[in-house]
Amino acid sequence: MTETLKPKDAAQVLEAVKWAAGEGTPLEILGRGSKRGFGRAVEPGLGLDLSGLSGIGRYEPNELFMTAFAATPMAEIEAALRQNNQQMAFEPADLGPLFGGDEDRGSIGGAIACNLAGPRRVKVGAARDHFLGFSAVSGRGEVFKSGGTVVKNVTGFDLSKLLAGSFGTLAVMTEVTFKVLPAPEKTRTVLVLGLPDAAAAMTMARALGSAHEVSSAAHLPKAAAGRSQVSYVAGAGRAVTAIRVEGPGPSVEHRCRALKELLKGKGEIEELHSENSQALWREIRDATLLGSANGDPGGRQVWRLSVPPMAGPGAAEALARDLAGEALYDWGGGLVWLAIAARPDAGHEKVRAAVAAAGGHATLVRAADEVRARVPVFEPQAARLGQLTARIKQAFDPKGVLNPGRMYEGV
Amino acid sequence: MTAKTARVNDDLIRALRAVVGDRVSTSAVVREQHGKDESYHPPHPPDAVVFATTTREISDVVKICAGRGVPVVPFGAGTSLEGHVAALKGGVCIDLARMNAILSVNAGDMDVTVQAGVTRKQLNEHLRDMGLFFPIDPGADASLGGMAATRASGTNAVRYGTMRDNVLALTVVLADGRVIRTSRRARKSSAGYDLTRLFVGSEGTLGVIAELTLRLYGIPEAISAAVCPFPDLKSAVETVILTIQSGVPVARIELLDEVQMDAINRYSKFDYPLQPTLFFEFHGSERGVVEQVETVKGIAADCGAGDFRWATKPEDRNRLWQARHDSYYACLALRPGAKALATDVCVPISRLAECILETRRDIDQTGLLAPILGHVGDGNFHVVVVMDMNDATEVARCKAFNERLVMRALAMDGTCTGEHGIGYGKIDFLTVEHGDAVSVMRAIKMALDPQNIMNPGKIVRV
Ligand SMILES: Cc1cc2nc3c(=O)[nH]c(=O)nc-3n(C[C@H](O)[C@H](O)[C@H](O)COP(=O)(O)OP(=O)(O)OC[C@H]3O[C@@H](n4cnc5c(N)ncnc54)[C@H](O)[C@@H]3O)c2cc1C
Repeated sequence: MTETLKPKDAAQVLEAVKWAAGEGTPLEILGRGSKRGFGRAVEPGLGLDLSGLSGIGRYEPNELFMTAFAATPMAEIEAALRQNNQQMAFEPADLGPLFGGDEDRGSIGGAIACNLAGPRRVKVGAARDHFLGFSAVSGRGEVFKSGGTVVKNVTGFDLSKLLAGSFGTLAVMTEVTFKVLPAPEKTRTVLVLGLPDAAAAMTMARALGSAHEVSSAAHLPKAAAGRSQVSYVAGAGRAVTAIRVEGPGPSVEHRCRALKELLKGKGEIEELHSENSQALWREIRDATLLGSANGDPGGRQVWRLSVPPMAGPGAAEALARDLAGEALYDWGGGLVWLAIAARPDAGHEKVRAAVAAAGGHATLVRAADEVRARVPVFEPQAARLGQLTARIKQAFDPKGVLNPGRMYEGV
Repeated sequence: MTAKTARVNDDLIRALRAVVGDRVSTSAVVREQHGKDESYHPPHPPDAVVFATTTREISDVVKICAGRGVPVVPFGAGTSLEGHVAALKGGVCIDLARMNAILSVNAGDMDVTVQAGVTRKQLNEHLRDMGLFFPIDPGADASLGGMAATRASGTNAVRYGTMRDNVLALTVVLADGRVIRTSRRARKSSAGYDLTRLFVGSEGTLGVIAELTLRLYGIPEAISAAVCPFPDLKSAVETVILTIQSGVPVARIELLDEVQMDAINRYSKFDYPLQPTLFFEFHGSERGVVEQVETVKGIAADCGAGDFRWATKPEDRNRLWQARHDSYYACLALRPGAKALATDVCVPISRLAECILETRRDIDQTGLLAPILGHVGDGNFHVVVVMDMNDATEVARCKAFNERLVMRALAMDGTCTGEHGIGYGKIDFLTVEHGDAVSVMRAIKMALDPQNIMNPGKIVRV
């Protein structure tokens, strides 16, 4: 177990980082530690546990943003929003269970640092797109702020976008501001049953391209559907393609009807109401339908493939056959969760070749530490991009003390 | 030749000719045109202008300049407003207007790849027959490369976002002439740091954008536009705030005060009442649009609005939005020979009424000719301060007004620029707003452009 520093506030974070930079001691940045297994295994050093920087700062529902300390639990934020009929529209996944931990343990800073998103990604984007501003300490030991509380600004380089998805390798965020929006009054899910994967991709594209403001489209092949807690889905006994519509009541009902009309003849059609919809989209969001949930260490390795939607099924089906795995599709087919039988190399060469041919990239989300130390977790970068990445890392963290190696070796 | 930097000499011009043939110019007229934008900032001509036609040419030109430490200033359509294209240190301007090919439209995945010089209007004309469109629409017919470089927005930002949200990938020529592609075609392809978004908004200071892949949208099934007058500014702004807070996905919601209405009535031959006015546009399914309209009409009526005047025919809508887009020129026409300082603050929507009303009082007290308008749905509004550049005291008064406005916005947790950018005109405001971030930006600039040749003197001073 590595030793851990536990700062109480931003000033102590600054002190810790300055010290680490002076000593050249690498820090492992921990929000609440729920996604420690995400990314390459970090080179050993000291832990920097931010859980002392917690709590909602500024939140006036009608301002449509919230400011919170970086390690504020997502659960706390979601509860506060729920009370005001609001939500984080980007619906960040709770990956805790996928990594064998409990639900609801993640922090807002972690969600942003990993640029998490949920099924609504196709319509509203990811954490990065809702992230307005922050305070942080760079690896140089300097406090800086960027962005703010407005929804648009063009004040120089977009540092918020750079920090989102940087896995703690550029700066330690101490406080973050993000958009919040009214929660939809009603949610309905149209289910199309029994579609093969390729046909499902076409159907999802049809729905997403329609005028009916579909907010999510996912496809669960038979095995994944069978694991759902939602009886209509599990009981279907075949693949389930799910299309979500949200908004004011009458509009949702109307759009649902229109969608059913549009998709008539593709397969048998069912409909889920709000509660079942919520349960299903949470399962899809958190990738818990892959059949090796909840801390099964001998369990399967999990890849996340980003592909052009129409190319997804071809690549995924071939990989699933080859690597004894199974797939689940979100984002209209643009996101494929692929669970495979564990192997020392995680099948990375095959996965990456297939995904490259499809025009996408792949991330190894879950595998044992030793596998993630050996196999590139994130898509390897072409030489020039890799150099650019290294230069940016250098600009923020010249001593390389913040989560070194978490994304790429030597970065 | 006499150049601003001794490094620009006949030998350099010969080297450039070897790459682009006669598409290099050192004529005074051409240089003059490329040293100025559409604002009041004085021109700073480059020493030479190259008209590039391929990524390869840009790369070769940048390599030549990098080898000699000569500044490079990318130039799109030259419509920016903060001296962005001014060649403060001379050097070579790369004009991208001839890189105007639409390379591939991917209707299935709803994206398009274009060369940087394609303009937003050219792209939308090309897409129209396919039932697709690209929503970002700064008033001017800017180039898509320039729009990415300034992270532009426009009237559609509430529903469709800004360039930040709609650029999927870029091909960029770096400061050493090497070419990179920031990500693959897959929509969610952000493996590693978000380099795409680092270049979006970098104002030509980190590299030259040669090609862009952009996100497209289906032309909505139903579109409805309306103009609605209000008894005073306050009630108009309240309507905007309540609309946004209720989450109605309006496509466009634009505010024009009565001075601005007068200007566009004259310039675009309309007869709208001289009252603070909102222009709306709603996009969606037939039914969805009806619902949005009902909600917004309800809110507006509660705030004391007059009647909605609908523009239903496409040609009426086009005329309406063209008039809105021309409003800057309509302001200039109020006072022939004058120039304009276009302010660009953006505040949290909850502070918008306060900010606009205080600003209006300031305008009245200062006695400026300064119409207010803006894309108020995201808290952004402009004051087009019309001024006589020959009257130094007037110019000073206008600048002082802008400074007060920026400070007012900052005190309300806002920003000095919602969409026009920093250029060199707002460099000092950036320091006031984000002092400590400027040093991080400088570190990034040094890391990517250690010689400081890419559009030097913009965003951050090195
Ligand atoms: C009437 C009027 C209305 C306007 N309305 C709006 C508005 O509503 N919203 C808005 O956001 N802006 C608006 N603007 C400002 C302007 O149109 C935008 O800033 C636009 O994005 C600039 O594009 P451009 O092609 O003219 O770029 P230019 O002015 O040519 O260049 C702008 C900057 O980008 C750099 N650049 C240009 N091309 C490239 C490239 N290919 N690679 C790298 N760097 C490059 C330049 O070096 C310069 O720093 C308006 C301007 C006018 C005159």
